[in-house]
Formats: sequence, structure tokens, C-alpha cells
Amino acid sequence: MDRVWAEVAVAATKTPSHSTELGAALLSAAMALPCIMGAAHAESAPEKGTLSFKFLNYQERQQLGKDTAVGGAPLSGYSGASAFDERIRVKASATNIMLPLNAEWSMAGTLITDSISGASPAYHTQALSGMKDFRRAVDTSLTRYLPNGTLTVGMSHSGENDYVSRAVSVLTTQVSEDKNTTWTAGLGLNRDAIQPANFIVTHEQKKGADLLLGVTQVFSMNDIVQVNLGHYSGHGYFSDPYKIYDERPRDRQHQTFQARWNHHVAAWGGTSRLAYRYYTDTWGIRSHTLDAEWVQRLGSDWRVAPLLRLYSQNAARFYVEVDPRIAPFPPSPLPSAVHFSEDQRLSAFGAITMGLKVTRQLNVDTSVDVKVEQYGQKAVWKFTGVGSQGLAPFYARSIQVGITHAF
Amino acid sequence: MHASSSLAVQRYPFRAMGSACEVVLVASSAQDAQRLAQSAIDEVLRIERKYSRYTADSIVAKINQKAGLNAVVCDDETWALLQYASKLHEQSNGLFDITSGVLRAAWNFKVPAIPSAEMLDELRAKVGWQKVVLKNQSIALPIAGMEIDLGGFGKEYAADRAAQVLQTQGVASGYVNLAGDMRFLGPKLTGEPWMIGIQDPRHPDQVVATLPMVQGGLATSGDYERYFELNGERYCHVLNPFTGWPVKYWRTVSVTAPAAVVAGCTSTMAMLMEQEGLSFLQATGFDFLAIDHAGNVHMRQQAA
Amino acid sequence: MCAKFLALMALLALQACSHIQPVAAWQKGTLALPEMSFDDDLLERGYKEHIYSSKEASAGGSGVGGGGCGCN
Repeated sequence: MDRVWAEVAVAATKTPSHSTELGAALLSAAMALPCIMGAAHAESAPEKGTLSFKFLNYQERQQLGKDTAVGGAPLSGYSGASAFDERIRVKASATNIMLPLNAEWSMAGTLITDSISGASPAYHTQALSGMKDFRRAVDTSLTRYLPNGTLTVGMSHSGENDYVSRAVSVLTTQVSEDKNTTWTAGLGLNRDAIQPANFIVTHEQKKGADLLLGVTQVFSMNDIVQVNLGHYSGHGYFSDPYKIYDERPRDRQHQTFQARWNHHVAAWGGTSRLAYRYYTDTWGIRSHTLDAEWVQRLGSDWRVAPLLRLYSQNAARFYVEVDPRIAPFPPSPLPSAVHFSEDQRLSAFGAITMGLKVTRQLNVDTSVDVKVEQYGQKAVWKFTGVGSQGLAPFYARSIQVGITHAF
Repeated sequence: MHASSSLAVQRYPFRAMGSACEVVLVASSAQDAQRLAQSAIDEVLRIERKYSRYTADSIVAKINQKAGLNAVVCDDETWALLQYASKLHEQSNGLFDITSGVLRAAWNFKVPAIPSAEMLDELRAKVGWQKVVLKNQSIALPIAGMEIDLGGFGKEYAADRAAQVLQTQGVASGYVNLAGDMRFLGPKLTGEPWMIGIQDPRHPDQVVATLPMVQGGLATSGDYERYFELNGERYCHVLNPFTGWPVKYWRTVSVTAPAAVVAGCTSTMAMLMEQEGLSFLQATGFDFLAIDHAGNVHMRQQAA
Repeated sequence: MCAKFLALMALLALQACSHIQPVAAWQKGTLALPEMSFDDDLLERGYKEHIYSSKEASAGGSGVGGGGCGCN
């Protein structure tokens, strides 16, 4: 009858778990032998390339007639005709290819095309007006694998009818000797050109820079943690030309703190993936995001992962609340206000996402996945305090289907 | 819910180095698995042919033939292995000695008999790595009858090389097992480790412990592979190069380390060091399981 | 004020490092699982970041680069 390692009795020695000088000497002697330990680099290009496709079908809607922040009283003017009004619908397809060029170089490219149609409010959650647009974005990057880490440079270009965005980025990772710690630093620069279809403004632009510093640490065979600090600084046109009463500052800076933890439970074949992000910006917005996912392996081919996301933000300093006395008509900003906006996205609210992703491994190189998510955004769901009043609850359903193949 | 056949674990048993061996891996198709396993097996057989004492055209046979005569030029791989043997000789203060194989002549494990002191003295005169001349990528054994034998780490080296062959072809789940000297490529596809049983040194059909293995090497040295018993004493095949006598302290020593070659040399050195073996194992920092002559179990395993 | 908060968060994170048990190279099997990575499924993360940053005021957290859009 065999006994598992941990149960064997007597004299279990407890000494530090790191390699000793003697151990290191024995190891380094063996390093002289031809090719028994694999690549000398801490990181080397992956052995296989990958090709992935993912399709997205996204549908938004809002529930008119319910003011969920202030006592549930219906807004005046509610016709009661339909419980929901459709908002934006997006059908997108994304393709990514990653190709190792040799042991020290790899490249990657992503192409995304979005078909966007539907309706968007002109202010708060009122006056939905139709729109239709098509966006294509291309991303490319080149990675060099160095003895202690990597260096990646990237470029991206995104174009739609009224908005073109160009960006470059550089990212470096440094891996510790024992490969348990990875430091990350990244810098991105973007320049966007805005030419709205309604000619409210012409030849506008927005420039920004963002910086990322992060560290990833392996805590044990089953635990890995990552902490990231981000800073963004942007200048230019931030307003939404399709919304009325929208005049935002020409500067915006934000900082983010993010911590993520993946924990594997070998006994169950499952892994918990938890993340928290704190966001704060110069428009007075602060938010908290909590992500929780559990990836459960079933047999050797299947993975099932339910997920939950909780989000809460407060309103921008210059957000103009719905005025129940004159709703559904838009309130005028105060005469003294330099900046103002009636964009729902800058209001105070909380949001909950629930979803499920199922992945099937077809063979060692290929897998397919399906993910369904339901998102809800409501003022009452703000974590603390009171959310913005008078906004219709907002819902979105998204379905993603993907396939990825290594070659 | 059952594992689809395309992702089942494929096992390829074969014989090499006088023992039962096996390549275990997961691949995208049966043909791929077959081809990959064959490439690993080919590498093991290549090393066997090149370094076996028995095959006429092996480099080891050539070096031994020239003992007391002249130097033999070595290729890069052989030179690297000899350099490694040198380092091990140094690390173990002479206990790990690849010239100690001639002592086997004194211990015929099929016929239980203690050799005479004269016989041992005569053989011990032909033992001693410090006597070997290594120069200009060539090796000379100065005394006729001297022999080198890479059996001390040959199987472990072959396991590491075969695993490397698989790893460069993208295999990330499986292992190579050469009669208990093993190198792992990665856990099962579910993320679970391979559960490897360590043979009970006194009951061959029983397992004394089960080790979860995911990567790196696992090797075991024991007093039960070749031995004879006389008057209640066991005489095994692990011989001390200074005295010529078999070691007695340990029944079995198993070690895990990043490479099988390191695990194997560490376990062998621990056997040779006898009582000092335990502090040696602790000093290496590697995980180990050792059972001494009285049946006491000593071990270290990092918390998972 | 927010700078102090961020510095505090970073400090707490670093303090947690005292509980690290270094993992030897040959023990890393589980860490190679895709669900243990922070970088798996690039396209899914791309969609996720894009959707949330166009419906909420926050953006970013773990990446740089990638352009913007005029999402409404």
C-alpha cells in the first residue's frame, strides 16, 4: 500500500526551500553538458505560432419609464409603449496571428472590424437617435527576447467614419534569476483625429500618453499575483459631438491601481481569478472594479468558467444631473459652468456583469470557446452613496465565439 | 465526461541499457505521438550505442582498449561528459569515480563470495580518476586494465537528452523513464502532476511513497538492483572506490532536481557518502527521500 | 491625495512579498496552465476593454498602447 509523500513518517527535515550553494554548484556543473536544460534565455520566443478568430455579437438596451434612483417614480412623458428601447448593436470580428520568427524574435498582428448600428441618446438616456458606423483597427507588434526579458514595440491604427486613432507603444519585461518575478514597464502614445459627421467641430484632435509599471510575482506553485500602476495624460478634444450640452475639459489625467491573483486548487481542478482595479481622474471620477472568475476543468478537454464583475463609479465634477421637474427635457447647465456634460457614462452608477465561458480543447493545438455575458448598469447599484437620478437602467448582452489554433 | 482519444496519454515502452524504459507523452494525433516517441527513443539508443561498455564501436570501448597505451581524442559531447565526471569527482572528494567500474570483477553478484584482500588491492591500483590524463580534448588511461564506465550517469543523461528532444518539438506534457531515472516535461493536460511510486527497497512489488512530479528529473539509487546476501549482510553494486567494498548505509536514495543527471549524481553520491550522505542531501537544497539500513525514512519536500 | 492612496496600495502589495516561497524551475507546471496566466485570450481582453471603456468612464489598468475610438 503506497503512502503519499507527505504521510511518510519520521525525520521530515525542514530546511529552507531555496537552492543552496552546493545545489547550485551541482547544477552549474551539469549546465556544461550539451542541451539538457533548454533555452539559456529567461524567455524565448514561443515554439509555436498561433492564429485566433473571435466574433462578437453585442446588443444594448435601456429600460424606459423607470427612474431607479429616486423612489421608482416614472418620468413624466413616459408613454408605456415598450419596456425596452434598443440602443447600440455591434457585430465585430477579430483576427490575431502570432508568429515566432526564431528563438529571439516574434511578431504579432490583430485586425478588428466592427459594424456598429442602432441608437444613442443625445443627453442622459433620452432622445435616442440612430447611427451606423464601421470601424477597422489594425495592431502590429514586434518582440525581441533577451537574456533577462523582452522588449516589444507596437503600432496601431483605428479608423471609422469620424474618428481616426493612431498609437505607438513600447513595453519591456525583466525576469528575475529564478523566473519568479517579472517587472514590466510600458509607454504608449496616441494621437486621435476627430471629424464628426455633424460638423459641430472640425479638425479636432486628442493626444495622450500612458505609462504602465507592473510586477508579477509567483508566490507558490498555485499562486501568481500581478500589481499594475498606470498613469495617463491627455490633451485635446474629449467632448462628445453627438450629445447636446457637452463641453468637457481639454485635459484629462487618470491613474489606475490594479491587483490580480490567480489561484489554482489542484484537488478540484479549478482556478480562481480575482482582480481589483481602482481608478481616479482629474474630472473627479473615481471607480472600483472587482472581477471574479472561476475556471473549472472538466476532464481533459473542457473548461467552464462562470464570472462576475462588479463596478461602481461616481459622477464627473461637471456632470449635469437629470432635473425631475423638467424631465424628459434636458436641463441647461448653470450659466457659470465652464464644463458640462449630460453623458450617462459620466454619471454615478454601479454595474454588474454575469457571464459564462466554455472552452473545448479539440486537440493539443486547437480550442474553441463561447462566452455569454449579461451586463446591467443602474444608479442604485453604486457601491456607496446615491447614484445619478433619472437615468434609465441600461443592459447589454454579449456573445463571443472564438477559435484558436497553434501551428 | 471522458478524455477524448486525441488527448489521451500515449505510452511507448522499449528496452535500452539493459532495462525496461518508457516514453510517455500527450500529442495531437497518434501519428505525431508515434513520431515524437520514436525521436526520443532514437536519442536514447544513440547514447547507448555511443557510451556502452559492451558495444565494440562505442567511444568508451575505444578509450578502455587504449588503456596503458595512448590517448584517445574525444568529440565535443564525450569531452563534456568527461569534464562533468571530473567535476563530480571533485565535488564528492573522490567518491564519485568513473574508473571504479573495474572493482566489479571482485564482486560477482551471481555468486555470493567475499573477494580476497589481494584481489581487491590489485583492482584498486587500477582505480583513480586523479590518475587519468585529460588534455587537448583527449583522454588517456595510464595503466593497462584501467577502465572508464559512464553507467554512473549514462541513463540519467540519456533521459535528459531524450526529454530535450521532445521539448524542442513542443511536447509539454509527459516524461521519459529509463528504468526509474526520469525526466519530466510538464504536468498532465489537466494540470495535475504525474504520481510516481518509489519502489520499496525490500519489497519490489510495493511502493514506499508516491511523488507528484511535474518537471525536472527524478533518479533513485538503491542497494536492491544488483546484490547478494551472505550471512545476513547485503552486498550491493555501489562500490566505494577507495576501499573497493560496497556501501552499506542506505537502502535507497531518491532525489528530484532540475535535470535527471543532477538528481542521479546526487543520489549516487549520497549512497557513497554513507552516514555523511544525509547532511550532503540537505546541503544540496534538492528534495529527497532516503531510507537507511535500519528502515528509517528521511526526506525533504518543499511545501506545494 | 490619490497619490498617497496609490503609494499605500503599492506598499501593501510589497509587504505581501514576505510570504513568497520561491518556486524552483522544475516545479512550475501548474503555472503554465492558460487559466493561471494573465495574458491568455488576447482577443477576449481586447473586446472587454473596448466595451467597458465605451460604456463606463474608466479605462486602462493593465496595458499600454492600442488606439482609442469614437465609441458612443
